[in-house]
Amino acid sequence: MKEITAIIRRDKLPETKKALDELGYPSLTIQSVDGRGKQKGALCAEMDSEMPESFCTAVKLRPTPSAYALEHTLPKVALYVPKRMLTIIVPDDVVATVVKSLIKVNQTGKRGDGKIFVSPVDGALRLRTGEKNGEAIA
Amino acid sequence: MKMIRAFIRPEKEQEVVLALEGAGFPSLTKMPVFGRGKQKGLTVGPVHYDELPKTLIMTVVDDKDLDKVVKVIQDKARTGFIGDGKVFISHVEQSYTVRTGEAKL
Repeated sequence: MKEITAIIRRDKLPETKKALDELGYPSLTIQSVDGRGKQKGALCAEMDSEMPESFCTAVKLRPTPSAYALEHTLPKVALYVPKRMLTIIVPDDVVATVVKSLIKVNQTGKRGDGKIFVSPVDGALRLRTGEKNGEAIA
Repeated sequence: MKMIRAFIRPEKEQEVVLALEGAGFPSLTKMPVFGRGKQKGLTVGPVHYDELPKTLIMTVVDDKDLDKVVKVIQDKARTGFIGDGKVFISHVEQSYTVRTGEAKL
């Protein structure tokens, strides 16, 4: 068993769920999280795939009071981008398929598409029936 | 690679994040959580708080950077009083960047 943790854009969630349904692994846990990556959360056009490029330029040319304050106030403020975090537990043999499908659905080619982490899981238990490990996630 | 999950005081979050950024680890995910520890919450006078708000900071780093990152978190999040939080470390086998589809951190 492996745990796939995917941190994705908020607007890609319905498509991702649909893709997982079609693969036959519909079970997942969703959390609303805030995150930042290499760009330290200070993104503009890249922050949201819906946001037009011109908006970014406009903000740079005429900084709003809050944008100015963010740049000039001490101490510095850490910026975050809202994301959705999915946790999916799958059998070992389908990890590659699920990851491939997640990448295919969530890839826009712009910064902020997210990350996928694969880690081992030692055990599982279905509370209702007491089934363990493999049967618990089937 | 290792995943670091740090449960810290919400008021220390900004300090920890900026310190991590300064040390060269700007990438992380945070979420608000509620929990309790050994002391089963907190009692102030007649009022008992069973679950206390914490911030969970989650980040994945290369094995060689693990000690450095944990030390930065500990230095900044520590006050010396109960409720400073915990750090959990778990193994990550593979990580992918969705934008490029590459299998690297």
